[in-house]
Amino acid sequence: MFEKIFFLLCLSTALAEQLCRPEASDGYRVRLSIKTALGDEAYVWNDNEMFLFRATLAFAMRNQISGQEFEVSNIIVCDETPRVSFWFVVTSPQNTSQLVDKESVEEAVRKSRNRINSAFLLTDKTLEFIGIPPTLAAPVNPDTPPWLIVFGLVMGAVGAGIIVLLASSVVQKKRKNDEKPDDEEIDEETRVKTVENSAASEGIYNRSFSDDERFTHM
Amino acid sequence: MEKDARPKWDSPVQFVLACVSYAVGLGNVWRFPYLCQMHGGGGFLIPYLLMLFLEGVPLFYLELAIGQKMRLGSIGAWTAISPYLGGMGLASVVTSLYLCLYYNIINAWSFWYLFHSFQSVLPWAECPINANRTGPIKECEQATPTQYFFYRETLDISSSIEENGGIHTGQALCLILAWIITYLFIVRGVKSTGKVVYFTATFPYVVLFVYLIRGITLHGAINGVKYMFTPKMEQLANPTTWINAATQIFFSLGLGFGSLIAFSSYNQYNNNFERQAIVVSLINSGTSIFASIVTFAIYGFKATVNYENCLERTRLLLLNAFNLAEDSITVDTVYDWIEKLNATYPEQFAELNTRLENCDLESELDTAVEGTGLAFIVYSEAIKNMPLSQLWSVLYFIMLLLLGMGSMLGNVTAIITPLRDFKVISRMSSELFNGLVCLFCLLLGLGFTTTSGSYWFTMFNDYGATFSLLFIVLIEVITVSYIYGIKRFEKDIEDMLGHRPNWYWKIMWTFTSPLLLIALFIFYIINYIKGGTPTYQAWNKELGKSVVTEYPVFGQVFIGLLLASSVSCVPLTALYVYCRKRKHGGHHKRQRTVSTISA
Repeated sequence: MFEKIFFLLCLSTALAEQLCRPEASDGYRVRLSIKTALGDEAYVWNDNEMFLFRATLAFAMRNQISGQEFEVSNIIVCDETPRVSFWFVVTSPQNTSQLVDKESVEEAVRKSRNRINSAFLLTDKTLEFIGIPPTLAAPVNPDTPPWLIVFGLVMGAVGAGIIVLLASSVVQKKRKNDEKPDDEEIDEETRVKTVENSAASEGIYNRSFSDDERFTHM
Repeated sequence: MEKDARPKWDSPVQFVLACVSYAVGLGNVWRFPYLCQMHGGGGFLIPYLLMLFLEGVPLFYLELAIGQKMRLGSIGAWTAISPYLGGMGLASVVTSLYLCLYYNIINAWSFWYLFHSFQSVLPWAECPINANRTGPIKECEQATPTQYFFYRETLDISSSIEENGGIHTGQALCLILAWIITYLFIVRGVKSTGKVVYFTATFPYVVLFVYLIRGITLHGAINGVKYMFTPKMEQLANPTTWINAATQIFFSLGLGFGSLIAFSSYNQYNNNFERQAIVVSLINSGTSIFASIVTFAIYGFKATVNYENCLERTRLLLLNAFNLAEDSITVDTVYDWIEKLNATYPEQFAELNTRLENCDLESELDTAVEGTGLAFIVYSEAIKNMPLSQLWSVLYFIMLLLLGMGSMLGNVTAIITPLRDFKVISRMSSELFNGLVCLFCLLLGLGFTTTSGSYWFTMFNDYGATFSLLFIVLIEVITVSYIYGIKRFEKDIEDMLGHRPNWYWKIMWTFTSPLLLIALFIFYIINYIKGGTPTYQAWNKELGKSVVTEYPVFGQVFIGLLLASSVSCVPLTALYVYCRKRKHGGHHKRQRTVSTISA
């Protein structure tokens, strides 16, 4: 009797080993970078952690394929390395020698990725399923891009500055025009003088260095 | 007659600050450090300072003297000195116009980056995610996030100068803002400019100083500074070093545009511009050296960060390929492990070889970048790695803006002052005329905001001002030294300052500077002819990097037009004046006889 049970156990493990081979068609490689993620608070990877992994994955498969009750024994792991990377395959609960196809496994992992990550205190980058790219967070698209807001503020301030400046210069000119009638009498005398001299002083600038020496052909 | 009196600076300090604000510009920050790096670090200072004293200060002095004596903008001043060579002033105005058109685009880009710094994550820190949400956008992955942000999101660049697209609205808005602020600064001419320069001349130094402290305390900054200051004396034997030093001094001081003549024309007649010329030139060069220390500290930081990231990536690659425990390889032992693994697993290692990067700190430091690439790509890459990156980003782009706006003041004044000397325009109110000039430049400048606009910008930057300026300043110095006469010029200066310029100035003006300029001029022409078809860097979307492309025929024709339009002003004006004098020569004779009889 014991021999039979022993024989069956050996058979099942042998079968399991046959099902799980690295680079097998329906499995995925998992790589964990615990020390990178947690530094000093890193936990040691041991059999208990492996058990948690298999349980989490069974949970993910249950969520994906409703009705089928995946157990920890349905998740077979092999080829563990010191890196903490290993290969896993998923067997169907109805028929333990048949593997669940790759696409379902991928879907299941994708859906429950967040839960799997948080079970191990890791992220998409530190808990990698090689071959299953993580779905990146959607970019936040605000209605008004923030730069436009700052632009609006600056433009408003500058515009206000210009309006103030132009308005003040217009006001100044108006004041000057109002003062003009008072100064006109004083100006009249100077204007008479300037009219007499205008033939000689046509320009306002000092042409002391123009080429009189060269062009006055006298 | 108060109305017709020429506006004046409120004090000589305003004039000095205006010159400093104009001369200290973006070139000090992004061109000088590049030249320093290319030509042997600390050793480059020797040709640079030599050229400063041989051509920089004398030519600066010359332009200030002319402006202060003639009290006119560049057109009026040169016409007064020699009517046939009044075209020089016109050439200066045309060159300044080209400069104004494209220079404010840089300010627009600075505004764009400044406004985008007010976000929790800087947009150039990470690649945006593609539509499928599976990974970053392909173009961004090939290049770097900072390059992607500059070429795609800021410029939306097309793949060559021939392909046109629409105007980038964000860019256009920033350009409008830049021109409105420029208008605000110059709206009342010297009265408003004089107040603004207190800020634009001094604040950049505050930011530079803060950045110096931040830069030096960055991790790995010391690598960059050491790299810069280790002189490589063998570069001094290379003639290009000396030519680049001369060219840099020349362009850095902003000679030949007419801005200096314009600024000094608003001076008091007896203002001591000799001392001011020396002070401003020294401040300009000092700022270049100061800015390059900051730049190299930042370079060192960026190179060190990239090097360490490279090592980290290699470490991960080895760990994953050989399935070793995580803490077996550290960043320091990567190279030892590479040798060990190569020995123990040769075939597996050979497979890896294609993916293995060669991490080298020296080669990271060697990547010399200048111009917009340095300011907007390299610097922003360094900033994103600093803690509190938004603050440093805002500070940096404010500094770029102040430097750029300060130079714009001089550029626009160089156009406005000579034109206002004409009677027709002086009747218009200064606010209206200045507004019209700004509006005109804005409308033409919108062409630079199209998808191929950046390539046109490069064309203007490389060809619009360089050659014409050399020509203009060469003619300037020959005119003053030989046609006007150095003796007359001496007397004018004695009239203004109270003493004659000493032998140093006279030798430089009559002998050294013209020779140097002729040498530079010939070198430019030879280089242009030897260089074959002019080329530019076009951004290739698929490869994610810049590719050297030749200008198409219309591009080359346009380059020729740019050069010819400003240079030809001189002979054309001379011809025009000659014809006019011949026509009116008879007229004048008759007029003079009439007036002598009546008097």
